[in-house]
Amino acid sequence: MRSSKKIFTPVVILALLGLAGLLISSQKIYADQWQSQSANSHLYFAPSWEGLPINGAFKQFAVTLSRDENDQPQSLSVSVQISSADMGTADFNEAIQMTEWFNGSTFAEAVFNSNTITSVESDDPRAQFIAQGILQLKGVERNIQVPFSWSEPADGNALMAGALSLGRNDFAIGTGEWAGGDQIGLAVKVWFDLVLESAND
Amino acid sequence: MDTKNTTEEWSWLSKLFHWLTALLIFIQIPLGFYAESLRLSPLKIDVFVWHKSLGMLVFLLVIVRLLWRIKSTIPIALANSRLQKILASAAHGILYGLMLALPLSGWVTSSASNFPVKLFWLIPLPSIVGPDDALKSIAAEVHEICVFVLIAILIVHIGAALRHQLMLGDNALKRMWF
Ligand code: HEM
Ligand code: HEM
Repeated sequence: MRSSKKIFTPVVILALLGLAGLLISSQKIYADQWQSQSANSHLYFAPSWEGLPINGAFKQFAVTLSRDENDQPQSLSVSVQISSADMGTADFNEAIQMTEWFNGSTFAEAVFNSNTITSVESDDPRAQFIAQGILQLKGVERNIQVPFSWSEPADGNALMAGALSLGRNDFAIGTGEWAGGDQIGLAVKVWFDLVLESAND
Repeated sequence: MDTKNTTEEWSWLSKLFHWLTALLIFIQIPLGFYAESLRLSPLKIDVFVWHKSLGMLVFLLVIVRLLWRIKSTIPIALANSRLQKILASAAHGILYGLMLALPLSGWVTSSASNFPVKLFWLIPLPSIVGPDDALKSIAAEVHEICVFVLIAILIVHIGAALRHQLMLGDNALKRMWF
């Protein structure tokens, strides 16, 4: 009887310590979370006609970035409301939501998640890091790379910017008579300028 | 082949301006209605590229034509009365005005719609206004009103030309032909 109690006490203490350690370390993993400020952040996209850009922007989206204990970006997640796509006029905005294009009523959200972020040597100041992950857009999942820069001016917020190019055919955007790409180009430029605030606790 | 008009005759250059513009406008009117009637499709975009290209060509031609006209002798009007003379020059003035107002209002409509344009698939047409729904519908309305005024005046214009040629026998049409 006594001996079992003797063993029991250290087991309990160890277990508690372990739990505390886990809590602390898990807190460490999620310690440095950043969240985009919607009013100051911009996500743009530009398909083209005959090589001339047609500028658009998503008005509603959210970006979350977390960093590890060495302040290295660790994971990135982005969600975009497809219905918020704005190409400047009501006619345009109606057209791009049609089934051939975004089909926003069926595929309301686009999501990008990355847990693989590497820091890279690059001449491009907008490509300090590359986040590799899966973009889910119009029901299609594709592996893509998102290059971005990260800086922290003195105001406590962080700035994140980057640019990439996506193939619209990869996501079945612009199907049927539009799929050829001889009029509305297949490459779509995507770029972003974000202000993020610390979202810890 | 003198490029200059006389008090009696139009020069070949003036005639070329007149008939080239007339030809373009006779293409433009059905082309505009056709473009508008199409559902959004690659064809619609192509037809609109033609419409905008030819329309801007009219704009350019009219500017050159008017600059040339300022410096030119104008043949004496073939009018029988003061009133006829005033009506004729008013109609011609309105036609010139429409040949400027149509391309301009079309250009504003096009720019406000935020769709880029490359004239004849070659020359990018700069935007004169930013994307703007309200402005786009006003400009499209102006464009359309100009179209209907143009059609009305042209009926009178052509009627008058035929009347001069066939009934008044003053060879007005022949004077404008080559
Ligand atoms: C889109 C079509 C047309 C436009 C915009 C147009 C416009 C004009 C203008 C602005 C003038 C005055 C020229 C000047 O004083 O500088 C003119 C003269 C004339 N037009 Fe037209 N025109 C068109 C079609 C036609 C057609 C189809 C006819 C014949 C059936 C015609 C017959 C004439 C004649 C005969 C004159 C000369 C009048 C004169 O000698 O005093 N036009 N036109
Ligand atoms: C000689 C010059 C022109 C003529 C006679 C002309 C005539 C027409 C006609 C008949 C229509 C269809 C009816 C309407 O909705 O108004 C139209 C529509 C249109 N035109 Fe023109 N046009 C001319 C120049 C231009 C130019 C230079 C542009 C652009 C750069 C242009 C852009 C448009 C557009 C965008 C529409 C559709 C308007 C809408 O959305 O309601 N047009 N035009």
